[in-house]
Amino acid sequence: MNAIEVKDLRKTFKVQKNREGLKGAFQDLFKRQYNEVAAVKDISFQIPQGEICGYIGENGAGKSTTIKMLTGILVPTSGHLSVGGFVPYEEREKFVQHIGVVFGQRSQLWWDIGVIESFQLLRKVYKVSEQDFKRRLDELVERLQLQDLLNRPVRKLSLGQRMRCELVAALLHNPSIVFLDEPTIGLDIVVKSEIREFLKDMNREHGTTILLTTHDLQDIEALCSRVIMLDDGRIIYDGGLEELKNRWGTGREVQFQFGTGTKLAQLQAWTAGLPVEWSAENDLGAKVWIPLEINVSDVLGQVVGKADITDIKIIETNTDDIVRSIYQSGSAEKKTDANDVTEDESVMTHV
Amino acid sequence: MSYYLGLIVEYLKNYIKTRMTYRADFWVEVISDLLFQATNLIFIFVIFMHTDSLGGWSQGEVVFVYGFFMVPFGVFSCFINLWGFSERYIVKGEMDRVMTRPAHNLFQIFLENVDPPALVGSIIGIVIMAISGSQLGLPFEWWTIPAMLVLTISAVAIYTGIYTALTSLSFYSDAPTGILPLMFNVQGYGRYPVTIYNRAIQVLLTWILPFAFVGVYPASLFLEREEMRNMAFLTPVVGGVFLAIGLTAWNYGVRRYRGAGS
Repeated sequence: MNAIEVKDLRKTFKVQKNREGLKGAFQDLFKRQYNEVAAVKDISFQIPQGEICGYIGENGAGKSTTIKMLTGILVPTSGHLSVGGFVPYEEREKFVQHIGVVFGQRSQLWWDIGVIESFQLLRKVYKVSEQDFKRRLDELVERLQLQDLLNRPVRKLSLGQRMRCELVAALLHNPSIVFLDEPTIGLDIVVKSEIREFLKDMNREHGTTILLTTHDLQDIEALCSRVIMLDDGRIIYDGGLEELKNRWGTGREVQFQFGTGTKLAQLQAWTAGLPVEWSAENDLGAKVWIPLEINVSDVLGQVVGKADITDIKIIETNTDDIVRSIYQSGSAEKKTDANDVTEDESVMTHV
Repeated sequence: MSYYLGLIVEYLKNYIKTRMTYRADFWVEVISDLLFQATNLIFIFVIFMHTDSLGGWSQGEVVFVYGFFMVPFGVFSCFINLWGFSERYIVKGEMDRVMTRPAHNLFQIFLENVDPPALVGSIIGIVIMAISGSQLGLPFEWWTIPAMLVLTISAVAIYTGIYTALTSLSFYSDAPTGILPLMFNVQGYGRYPVTIYNRAIQVLLTWILPFAFVGVYPASLFLEREEMRNMAFLTPVVGGVFLAIGLTAWNYGVRRYRGAGS
């Protein structure tokens, strides 16, 4: 069963045009001009139950707008939408009982009262029975190590402590679908990995469906089996992370350090016949670019033994680089089509 | 229903817990509220130093109306506080959070802004009614307290309807509107006998912005003013109609909410 189904979802905003100057301001006062801006442009996707899906894209790509439509905050301009069997904006109050939402940049908790009091209040709001609440709270507190924080007022917590409390607040009513909007923003590496572990466990133990947006691709690598990438309101990639890497990671780079001077021309001669690309800073150091279809060992075999090598480093293209180049080109599809047609060329023009 | 009543209790408890830390604030608020009401009352006394009757109403009656006016106004100010709505919930986007919780969004906003010190005004209002009522020799009947309850609730419903409808405008316009302070001034007219105003203002205060129904009309029931009795009976109806208008406007406006930031 699909936890989330989205079909041709669209959201346009009317944005007021401000005319220039004092005269323009007066004109605006009486007759306003509006621009229609589409933030989300007819996107479709399905997320099956129990999946962790990453939702990424540049700032302003439409991620938050989508999340807000999925959580019932915004009413879509057109398209179909079903989350956990509900149409979010139509039966919002009934629907939100089944979801949990964490906005990394906004707090769910009451600023001045103790953390536990916030939880108690949320228990009432979400109609959680005393027993369920206690069981769930114990589990979460244990798991996220919040024992010492429970009686402190929220304003005295550090960001990392607060974020862990936010997670508890969003999960007290045991939602089956959880939306996380930049849950790790501004957190240190320890807290980040703690939160990732926690989310993974929750997904495994309770089968919770998770949709998260993030700018930290390590979140995605650690958690998500699937990525949806958005650009300018359209989905430009939807699929596995490995696939994305394979499709976009065009090859690997091997760095050599030589004990004795080795000329670039010499290196090129040794690997003649292989579509690899050498570059050298000086006689003692050289880099070779190896496309995916060639084994690294084949290239190494040609060089090792012939040259006096002191050090070898193999560098895989990381996800950050891949995603950056996709963002810059604005499409994951266009480029791959081009790849198929002029494969040689794209291999050679690697940056 | 019991769910919502339970929530009111919880939020009030929270308010108290929060306010324990800012006790001085509480008293400052109570005192400034009272001073505000006292100046209005003094104004009435000053007027009656120059005349014995205001459009056929004696000083005691006008003071009694003012006392009644304070009761629903205190209750309204305590539970329905939409002053900073546009700023806090729309510009800063706190509406997002409210809308992801399973209680009606407007109700949550009311609860998040409860202001119990305002209830002190209601208590003073009752005291004023009691004193001026006994000076006027008004009878205390079996229906006095039930009628007081029904009329207070109706008057609160009128306030709520008007302010909710006006606040829901902030879903349409980006800039916070200055219409609320204007309203606040208009509602002050309702605490004097409407018959002293000209015809146009009477119509305005009765049918368009029915602030006469939060003061003089219901109070006239206790003052045994025959000419306004029917209007007093009409108060619950007006309350229901305006509350319905307010809620409809609100629910419609919420659908247009656009969120803030990313």
